[in-house]
Amino acid sequence: MHPIEIFVDAPGKAGCYSGGMCATSVGMANMGLFEGYDTGGFYDEMFLSPGHPRPHYAKLFHRLAAMAPAQFEERRKLADLSFLIQGITFTVYSDGRGTERLFPFDLVPRIIPSSEWARVDRGLSQRVIALNLFLQDVYGQQSIFRDKRIPRSLVYSCPAFRREVVGVEVPRGIHTHICGIDLVRDSKTGEFCVLEDNVRTPSGVSYVLENRLVMTRTLPDAFQAYEVLPVNHYPAELSRILRSLSPRGEGNAQIVLLTPGIYNSAYFEHSFLAQQMGIELVEGRDLIVDGGIVYMKTIRGLTRVDVIYRRVDDEFLDSLTFRPDSILGVPGLMGAYRAGNVALANAVGNGVADDKAIYAYVPDFIRYYLGEEPILRSVETYICARPEDLAYVLDHLKELVVKAVGESGGYGMLIGPASDSAKIEAFRERIQANPRNYIAQPVISLSRVPAYDETEGCVAGRHVDLRPYCLYDGEKVTIVPGGLTRVALTKGSLVVNSSQGGGSKDTWVLRGDE
Amino acid sequence: MLSRIAESLFWLARYIERAEGTSRILDVNYHMLLEQSQQSYRPRWEPLLIMAGEEDRFRKLYDEVNGANVFEFLAFREDNPSSIVQCVAKARENARTIRDRISREMWEDINGLYHMAIRYIPEEEIAAGPHRFCDKIKFGAHRFHGVTDATLPHDEGWEFLRIGRALERAEMTARLVDVQYHNLLDGPPAENALDNHQWMAVLRSVGAYEAYHRQYHPPIEPEKVAEMLILHSQHPHSIRFSATDVQSGLRAVSGSGRGSYANEAERLAGRLVERLNYDRIGEIFHQGLHGYLDDLLRICGLIGEDIARTYFYYAVVA
Repeated sequence: MHPIEIFVDAPGKAGCYSGGMCATSVGMANMGLFEGYDTGGFYDEMFLSPGHPRPHYAKLFHRLAAMAPAQFEERRKLADLSFLIQGITFTVYSDGRGTERLFPFDLVPRIIPSSEWARVDRGLSQRVIALNLFLQDVYGQQSIFRDKRIPRSLVYSCPAFRREVVGVEVPRGIHTHICGIDLVRDSKTGEFCVLEDNVRTPSGVSYVLENRLVMTRTLPDAFQAYEVLPVNHYPAELSRILRSLSPRGEGNAQIVLLTPGIYNSAYFEHSFLAQQMGIELVEGRDLIVDGGIVYMKTIRGLTRVDVIYRRVDDEFLDSLTFRPDSILGVPGLMGAYRAGNVALANAVGNGVADDKAIYAYVPDFIRYYLGEEPILRSVETYICARPEDLAYVLDHLKELVVKAVGESGGYGMLIGPASDSAKIEAFRERIQANPRNYIAQPVISLSRVPAYDETEGCVAGRHVDLRPYCLYDGEKVTIVPGGLTRVALTKGSLVVNSSQGGGSKDTWVLRGDE
Repeated sequence: MLSRIAESLFWLARYIERAEGTSRILDVNYHMLLEQSQQSYRPRWEPLLIMAGEEDRFRKLYDEVNGANVFEFLAFREDNPSSIVQCVAKARENARTIRDRISREMWEDINGLYHMAIRYIPEEEIAAGPHRFCDKIKFGAHRFHGVTDATLPHDEGWEFLRIGRALERAEMTARLVDVQYHNLLDGPPAENALDNHQWMAVLRSVGAYEAYHRQYHPPIEPEKVAEMLILHSQHPHSIRFSATDVQSGLRAVSGSGRGSYANEAERLAGRLVERLNYDRIGEIFHQGLHGYLDDLLRICGLIGEDIARTYFYYAVVA
């Protein structure tokens, strides 16, 4: 029986998943969903001006515009149902119980022409290699301190700096096996710039793969009109890299993915990747360290583990080394890691490289370690730990975005122009109490891409960012073309995080430019 | 295979079976009891609660034992860990922790069953009667078993599912027979027609009504019903059949041959099967049915414990 039948059968809510009979008015014959679309003075990735799509969006525009809103709505609901049945959900804890929610999927794809992507790809590779060299240096020779390119105190005061791994040699010198680097486009020129690096345990790649699958099933005609670069080689490439780290050689490498468990918001991704790579998905309680060797507990006894793709944060990995109250990790794991008996990806201590204050120095890392100019621009950043920056920030709170360096997920943020004076003053006190904990950046008006607005029954411009996923094997960086486009589905919102009303889009990198 | 995965498979199957068994018992008995109540015979809902092992909890939550309350309690209550919806939720929770190890079809099927189950509105179902809800659950469980057999490699993981399902089923049937006999012995002196009615319901609740009639001649006799449910070699709901399934599953995992055993669970299962192979229903009644079933339940409990000891748990290393 097809799952849909189940839902239509269920009494009480019957019909809530059936095809859309949305009472939207059908607009002018040739505009359809795009009736009344307004670019609003932002960089709109689809339109040069209303009704005039950019060349690489033309085919998509004509197909979507020809579609009746009710038909679009029906396809959209089919896509939602597909995500629900597959259990592609994330968990939110706002109600104290942990509720599963769908990560809203917007059916209008985002398209990036080949020539634009080529520059992004080169820029990301350069950045990932520089970040890896920085981590090698900070936990190794520390030449960057001696050459005074970054203050030692700034690095050592990062909450994510791990003294425990200074001097530990990681397999093949790789710290940043998997990076998710958040990009935004300049609101005037459309140029891609780096907003944030994520080199600890970045998540979201499973949505890239699942979005593509659902997209090809839901809008096959539009998809076929383009030559879109594939994304589904990601698990195979990751698996290859993990295998190469095995201390016992690749032949009999036992690789596992360590998850905090089903209550983690990214649990779906953990099980998805384990399944795609054909490796064991384990929780901390499945592993045990004996004599400096990590084993997993099987029904036939203990089996040695060589490589752990861990999706558990540093401080929870080993209660003997880090937080003693952690039950998510494996006591003694760090001992086995230091002894070289087990490899961890990503390496421990990576958080020092994606600290929001360190971010300001990454262009210097590129110049210092690679002798190159950065290909991708960073966003101008004021580091409140510097007295002159602090003074400027406190004077211009109304114009700036202030972020706590240790927070993620869109929390601990002040968006100056959107805040009243009470909120600004409260934030001022927090900054003054602990300047090291804050950085500030000018407000970036993210570029916009059309997205379907359920309440209005039409397509409207919504702000987006992009998180490409970069895999580093010690020699070259492999980037899945595109990545996760996150979209702020709420009108006017700049926050794209899934925990705060964000959704995602399938991202198409074209083989050519149209 | 990771111990935790084996354990989740075992419990996944147990919870599905429990949801299915409770649905069957509720469906059949509810309608039977309603018919009885029209014949100025006070229906006895308590046995349904005893079968579910949740009588005390029910009394804490409700003032009156009536059809609507029993149905709501056994089918929907979130604070009844044995309610059908809670069993489906736990089955799905177990499946979720191992979704990378079961087939995509299995996961989507159980996930769909869960989303269906939580969308029912208890008030509406109470008004409609349990049949449509229970039927959906029953066939949902059947479909899950079908999807499992067709899409999961029949390796040791599949064996743990089989063991969990068979062990749960043996226990459900033992409790069903026990409670019904208890009920008849304790109940008011009833007319034969009513008893007959009740035994028809027992047979129907394990889907054995038609099979009974092929094997035995009317009228329905309690002793023959008991024989069918305890000792039948081929009916998939008999205790003997289920115990044999448990034994085969355990042997497939350990590789033990006939006449040998690798652990305590296998020894107990082997002894249980032999007993059921050679006991006669007359002897069982002679020594006391309740005591006999009680002993079977105790052994099933011990088998479950030893499976956990052998395959699931690791002693803490000092």
